[in-house]
Amino acid sequence: MTRSVWKGPFVDGYLLKKADAHRGSGRKDVIKIWSRRSTVLPQFVGLTFGVYNGHKHIPVLVTEDMVGHKFGEFSPTRTFHGHSGDRKATKKEG
Amino acid sequence: MIEPRVLLGVVTGAHGIKGEVKVKTFTAFPEGLADYGPLTTEAGHTLDVETLRPAKADEAVVRFAGVADRNAAERLKGQSLYVPRSALPPPDEGEFYLTDLIGLSAEDAAGQVIGTVKAVHNFGAGDMLEIEFPDKKTEFVAFTDANVPAVDIAGGRVVIVLPAYTEGEA
Repeated sequence: MTRSVWKGPFVDGYLLKKADAHRGSGRKDVIKIWSRRSTVLPQFVGLTFGVYNGHKHIPVLVTEDMVGHKFGEFSPTRTFHGHSGDRKATKKEG
Repeated sequence: MIEPRVLLGVVTGAHGIKGEVKVKTFTAFPEGLADYGPLTTEAGHTLDVETLRPAKADEAVVRFAGVADRNAAERLKGQSLYVPRSALPPPDEGEFYLTDLIGLSAEDAAGQVIGTVKAVHNFGAGDMLEIEFPDKKTEFVAFTDANVPAVDIAGGRVVIVLPAYTEGEA
């Protein structure tokens, strides 16, 4: 069952405060968070959050595509080390 | 010097009675198994792909030249399939093969070795390097210009700027 629209997206209150404070300071640090249940909001785009996976904080640079998803989706709690094959990694700017 | 090889797949079993085999692929797409020329097994035997069709996201049904029936196909079960590293085309600007990055020495800006690249992951928020420190602890570093200012494949090293963390409230 989906969440009622009138409620709006769920986000832990401290995250909003933290993001606002961080954006105002202009720093590029990773913001440690434990709130995997919070929704990614448009005002988080461009910030980097360290989302806890029960073990460590995984850096998540928020982009527009992530808005509406939950933070926990980008920080899996189980890590599978597969073979690399012919796969490539792309270095991002910023 | 032995040329490095890249593991592209493993034969998991026979498929049907006409000599086809199922291959678990480690390529970006299953079709990529046939893109780099003949495959070699662990023992060095060469296998030419005659036909290939994708079965799942990481599985292909393959017919190799000279494998005509199920008995011959079953004998290939468990074989790892490699290509030489030199068979992979040069990557585009800003792209790196995972196989090249894994195992590189991680150094700080001053040139001090801080660990090695253990793995490269993408959990949906971009590629990130998993750096393993001498005490076996690991840390994830986003694969960005800010965190990884230099990648020197030939020199076997990457320069890592470990990110600073700001504590958030729990």
